Amino acid sequence: MLKKIFLPTILVFLAYGFWISPDFKEISAGVAIFLFGMLSLEEGFKVFSGGTLEKILKKSTNKLYKSIGFGAVVTSIMQSSSLVSVLTISFLGAGLIGLSQGIGIIFGANIGTTTGAWLVAGLGLKVKISAYAMPMLVFGVILIFQKSKSVKGIGYILTGLGFLFLGIHYMKDGFEAFKSTIDLSSFAVSGFKGLIIYAGIGVFATVVMQSSHATLVLIITALSVGQITYENALALAIGANVGTTITAIIGSMSSNIDGKRLAAAHLIFNSVTGFIAILFIHQLIVVVDFTSNVIGIANDDYSLKLAVFHTIFNLIGVLVMIPFVDKLVIFLENTIKTKDLKKKDSYDSVRYFNESALAFPETSLVAIVKESKHLYENAFEIIAHGLNLKKSNIVSSMNIDDVIKEEYSNEIVDIDECYNRKIKGIYGEIIDFSTKAQSKMPPYYIEELYKLKHANRDIVEAVKDTKHLQKNLIKYSASSNSYIKKEYDFIKAGLAELLRNINIIATTDEEDVLLLVLSKSKVHIEKYDLIANGKLDELIRNNLVSNEMATSLMNDSAYAYDISKNLISMAETIFVDARSDMKELKQDMKISEDEIDSLLNKRKDL
Amino acid sequence: MKFIKFIDSVKSFLGLENFEKSTKEKSIKKLLEKLKAKKKIATDSLKTNHNEKEMALLQEELEIISKQIKKGKKLLKLLKSE
Repeated sequence: MLKKIFLPTILVFLAYGFWISPDFKEISAGVAIFLFGMLSLEEGFKVFSGGTLEKILKKSTNKLYKSIGFGAVVTSIMQSSSLVSVLTISFLGAGLIGLSQGIGIIFGANIGTTTGAWLVAGLGLKVKISAYAMPMLVFGVILIFQKSKSVKGIGYILTGLGFLFLGIHYMKDGFEAFKSTIDLSSFAVSGFKGLIIYAGIGVFATVVMQSSHATLVLIITALSVGQITYENALALAIGANVGTTITAIIGSMSSNIDGKRLAAAHLIFNSVTGFIAILFIHQLIVVVDFTSNVIGIANDDYSLKLAVFHTIFNLIGVLVMIPFVDKLVIFLENTIKTKDLKKKDSYDSVRYFNESALAFPETSLVAIVKESKHLYENAFEIIAHGLNLKKSNIVSSMNIDDVIKEEYSNEIVDIDECYNRKIKGIYGEIIDFSTKAQSKMPPYYIEELYKLKHANRDIVEAVKDTKHLQKNLIKYSASSNSYIKKEYDFIKAGLAELLRNINIIATTDEEDVLLLVLSKSKVHIEKYDLIANGKLDELIRNNLVSNEMATSLMNDSAYAYDISKNLISMAETIFVDARSDMKELKQDMKISEDEIDSLLNKRKDL
Repeated sequence: MKFIKFIDSVKSFLGLENFEKSTKEKSIKKLLEKLKAKKKIATDSLKTNHNEKEMALLQEELEIISKQIKKGKKLLKLLKSE
């Protein structure tokens, strides 16, 4: 209900404001142009974030100090802590970074955002920035119409900056005129009460405008023309810092649980920082005055002093919160939990997909890789139980002959039912997410996406083939004919070994182990070719198995061959190729088909 | 100048192309060392093992390792000649 009336109320309020005050109209137009500039800037940065930005992010956030530095630098460049926090949520949602790294970036973003105050206070109000805005807009728009994506991106950035400067110009003009009509300083309330009221106004203004930068510009311009007192401006800046978390909160709504935790961390951090600043406001003012004197800011230059205050109180906030990052993570994990895990036997669904992960090609790919691994986990369970093997035995160091002797259950596992519960839904979601991601991807990523889709299809095929294989495997594993039993045990042992090898491939960090296991698995597939290795011929010729058994064995060997081939191909894509260091090494060192043939021929000759 | 071209020119200015090559050389050398150690273990096991099935598996492993060592050496030679 509240949601429905919020927008019309704001629109009516604005329309009324425009009607009664042309100055209010100018200020609002300035804010609108400023925000439009930010949208354009965001669009421009998105062009350059197709790969380079993500790679930098990955490497720059592995330590807390690095992530704080990264957040500070990127926010200084982008001039939007909201954009950086939303970006961070999208990376977190895709599992590219952890919650503590995300929190580090948010801390850094709060430091980086202070450069905005310096820019506006130091440059924005002293230089006639509208003079720079016009050429930027003209050049920017011309570049936007160019074909090259990079040039287009630069165009958006220039246009964005142009609009930002133009917006500041209009706001400044509006406040200059406003000064003669209404004296905001008459509303000033002194003391702690005044601080709380103005901090609240700062929160409200930032929530409405969705930009602490815009609020800060308003504060500095209002302060520069004497509409508000210095103390009120400080309280407004504190409020703006808390209000800016609204963008991250909105951004986290479509994100996964970690994204929500990050947004909560952002709110906690900014609220604590604001609380400290309000509590120690007089001490802070002394520090600001001292710092301003040291760096040569005039005593009456309140705009620049506000920038100093903004920087100091954010720095203090970061310094106070750093020792509590781990505790904050634990607190968030305990308080913001995923909805009750579905019952063991219920339908499984995707874990890593969310709208924010779709924002960038690399985050989409990471999310798909993670979800593919999730799908494989389920497939591994179904295949193992379908073959009546215990998962724990397969991944142990137990002798494979013993693994196949120990049965999982006396009852036959219904693979169809398992498929519907644990594969079908997730696979559908993966395909759906991939299709959405593909529409936003440059060609370079599409090839990789195609391979991932193929790997998921391999998983599904392997489960389906296990279903076909299961019936005879269960039947002949208990057969009184020792020859056919031996052949089916061989198939079962081969598949158990393959599942074990894939588990090694998925978990090892040793390149030599990975290469060896991968090559061995490829060689072992060929042993299912019963016609080529003469086994079937031998069994039939010596009347060791019936015709029916022979046909079943031939078909089931083909199923085992397909399962192995599909699973190895899948493992290469999601467990090896997804790791850039291993991918190249695998390509350089992999054993070719001819070499596998020569190895097998050698064995036959022995 | 296009963004990728700009990155390439920065890379060549900082000599990062050679850095990539030398990193690759190092990782192959490291891998070769590990493979050689594995080959020695497999050869020793083959001498002491008398189980026919296990011997066949060890023999197969040894052949795969030998092929990979050969590939690694060839690759290293190629990288050095570049």
